[in-house]
Amino acid sequence: MSVIRSFGERYATALADPDVRAGLTAFQRGWRVSRDAAIAELEAQEGRSFDELRAELAAIKDGVLADWEPHLDTFTANATAAGAEVVRVATPGEANALITERMQAAGADLMVKGKSMVSEEMGLNSHLEAAGMTPVETDLGEWILQLAEETPSHLVMPAIHKRKEVIAELFERVLERPFPPDDIDRMVKAARTELRERFLASSVGLSGANALITEGGSILLVCNEGNNRMSVALPKLHVVTAGIEKLLPTYADAMKQVRLLGRSATGQPITIYTNFLTGPRPGQEQLIVLLDNGRTAMAEDPDVAAALRCIRCGACADVCPPYGVVGGHAFGHVYTGAIGLVNTSFHHGIEAAAGPQSLCVSCGACATVCPVEIPLPVQILEIRENVARSGESGTAGRVTRLALRAFQHPTLVDLGLRAVGVATTPLRRDGVTALPSALTARGPLAERIGWRTPPAVPARPARDTLRHGRLEEPPRLAEQPLAGRKVQLFLQCVSDRMAPDIPIAAAKLLRAAGAQVTVPRDQHCCGLPAYDSGEQDTARSMVRQTMAALADGADVVTPASSCLAMIGHDAPYLLRGDVAEVERAQELAGRTYDLISYLTSGPGRLPAGSLDDGDRTPVTVHRFCQASNTLGRTDAIESFLRDVAGAPVVPLPEASECCGFGGSTSVRNPELSSGILDRKLGCVDRTEASVLITDNPGCILHLRGGVHASGREVEVLHLAEYLVRRLPGATSTDQER
Amino acid sequence: MTDRTAHDTPVAASPQRQLLRTRVEAAASTYQEVDGWEQVSAHAAAHGDRVAIAPSLHAAQPALAASLEAHGCTAVVPGTDDPAADVADVPVAIVAGVLAVAETGSVLVSEHELADRVVTMLCKRLLQVVDAADVVDRLEDAAVWLAARGGRAGFASLMTGPSRTADIERSLTIGVQGPDEVDVFVLVGTDAATEESTT
Ligand code: SF4
Repeated sequence: MSVIRSFGERYATALADPDVRAGLTAFQRGWRVSRDAAIAELEAQEGRSFDELRAELAAIKDGVLADWEPHLDTFTANATAAGAEVVRVATPGEANALITERMQAAGADLMVKGKSMVSEEMGLNSHLEAAGMTPVETDLGEWILQLAEETPSHLVMPAIHKRKEVIAELFERVLERPFPPDDIDRMVKAARTELRERFLASSVGLSGANALITEGGSILLVCNEGNNRMSVALPKLHVVTAGIEKLLPTYADAMKQVRLLGRSATGQPITIYTNFLTGPRPGQEQLIVLLDNGRTAMAEDPDVAAALRCIRCGACADVCPPYGVVGGHAFGHVYTGAIGLVNTSFHHGIEAAAGPQSLCVSCGACATVCPVEIPLPVQILEIRENVARSGESGTAGRVTRLALRAFQHPTLVDLGLRAVGVATTPLRRDGVTALPSALTARGPLAERIGWRTPPAVPARPARDTLRHGRLEEPPRLAEQPLAGRKVQLFLQCVSDRMAPDIPIAAAKLLRAAGAQVTVPRDQHCCGLPAYDSGEQDTARSMVRQTMAALADGADVVTPASSCLAMIGHDAPYLLRGDVAEVERAQELAGRTYDLISYLTSGPGRLPAGSLDDGDRTPVTVHRFCQASNTLGRTDAIESFLRDVAGAPVVPLPEASECCGFGGSTSVRNPELSSGILDRKLGCVDRTEASVLITDNPGCILHLRGGVHASGREVEVLHLAEYLVRRLPGATSTDQER
Repeated sequence: MTDRTAHDTPVAASPQRQLLRTRVEAAASTYQEVDGWEQVSAHAAAHGDRVAIAPSLHAAQPALAASLEAHGCTAVVPGTDDPAADVADVPVAIVAGVLAVAETGSVLVSEHELADRVVTMLCKRLLQVVDAADVVDRLEDAAVWLAARGGRAGFASLMTGPSRTADIERSLTIGVQGPDEVDVFVLVGTDAATEESTT
């Protein structure tokens, strides 16, 4: 019998097995290639973009979710007319009791099961076993897990965390004959033989439902292996377990789901078997159990209702960097991947959701592939806030909360960080804080901190250097698109205090392009760290503070793309309760740019070749994940570097994948963060470039720390730092950071 | 019936059927256009000495059994008592599809009765036969057929290639709980092409 262990145990187990990570990384890379090809082919076939197609399916789903009662009634009437019995239940307990009772009444003790996540949600197997019955999973992956007494780690590839060697060993033990790990075909055929006997012997079969089609009262049930067809056909009683949200009005709607489901799940244009079941076959009974278990509560909560659109394709796990490190047992509960971080609290309680949600790095990748356009990153932060409020985030959560509340106060932060800067002066080397090797080389702290050298805290923040008149006049560009234009520089709290060279370089660059750069005095923090930690009240107050500081109507430019994501994207959402505030937030968003957008598509567009100093050292570019996933930026930095700076750019594999910084995640779950960083730096190694350019200061400090700790010879630079060296007559201090 | 072999390169096949062929082959099935059932029988007989016929097909094409026997193999039409036992060890099976979808290379098979379903589930090699007149462009065309059934009890399956799994390390393995091999036949003989759809 499989039992879900505590989050801490699951997380530790996942981290302890490096094989898991290697396997998952290979899986994610393979999925990406097949899925992207399948979606491109679909876009060509339909003459419409993925975004249009998914918006269409999302709208169909929303139409039902707005009020599912009439649809449920029609579905029930139609299915009943076709001979099925439809029962709605509120809780897993009721569902389990009902099914057990029916099995007993039928004198059955063996149930063959097709894959059903709802039955996992209900814990049906444990329940049946406790009643002395035998459920047998017939999907290959699910069967493997049943033998191993484990739960699925992925919505469609339940056993993807298991290497073939481990599966071969398991088969040898259970089936008592040899299984060479490379002979996967032999394992599959063995499963066929073993399971066929069960199919033929069983009088009860269970399946899930990919959709409940109102028109006609049909069930859509897809599978590749053919096991589902057997488990619904052969037994005398067919039980369907489904969530009540799975309704679709018509068969034509179902076809739209089919088009996106196979492609998003496995890169197939369609699953091998796409079955439409209407009522039981002659000589059979059909019991359709529709489970609520928190779904009504989700539908009533506008912040998460869209999560009920989910078609369980698993794509949100397939692009998720933390999932790639720890897999679905830690990154999820019964439901895994990003969707699991949202729906777990409704189906299994906030305690079950607390641990997994803390692993999200907020990179936004899941939202880019979800075939029903669920705003997963935003919803995960809503859950994070609920966790923070509920006190389930534990001591770490309380410490974070206190720190963030203190961080709201600019004067306190100013004094505190200046003090740290002075105190750590003796340890400061090349932009990092050289900790004594006794701390970082071995011992309990090594694993938590040794992988990333912490940044230095300079004695003087950027705002001091940038105070009016202090910064020497930089050389001017021949062509100055910003001549006479006023630009407010938003420093970003991290850069201001820990990487002052970044905003200083940005200021020089803007001035070189002709701008009058001002540094509004009251600026502090955009509120992103608080929002990212689930402290939305604190975040809101920081957003307001930022709006007030930047109220002067001039352009705002920040060297930190994360602040743009906050000001331009998240702030209006956070203030959504007040129309006037939203308007003000939008007004600010409309004149706020990150450096690259200001210099490429904004008023500061620089002419081709204007920063070309002849240096042809190859560089590579890490695309800040939120800029790609949330702001929709693609190759702006690469093109700019090529066209304006004349630099040869080597494409970075997986350029838009998160580097593992992830705000609070890298502090709370450093092991996870270092796993993601390893993957990123591995990709950087493959480019053989010695300069890595990106534009989010948090990532830069994180990447620099990782490069330093691993002894790599790669210089990590902010775009501004790189460009400022290429200004005509750049000074030697610009040349060496 | 002529004794011609399957057209490997169909003469003047419609773009729709060309797409169907591409998609069927992409799903790891074979695709053949034939003049009539005789060629289907010959193909079945070449792959096994016992061939199961779905009861619904047997009712529509009673001559098929005799044609198989003429090729020297036993035709098995499962009964209603224990149909699974009847076909459990039969290696090859033939079923008729109500339509084929060019977009996905799928054949829609209507198999309400268990005796029909065991035929497509338990064999190793499945021959799916569709009239050329029943080839449609898109999945929505299959939805029209489903909707037209008006909620009557039934089981219809869009089948697209042999069963497969990638559950172990995402490594593709063909042949799991369903057939290992699927051959799609499109009947382009003049009779079939002019007949009304048999749905
Ligand atoms: S949330 Fe979206 S991407 Fe994730 S499983 Fe559901 S449908 Fe797929």
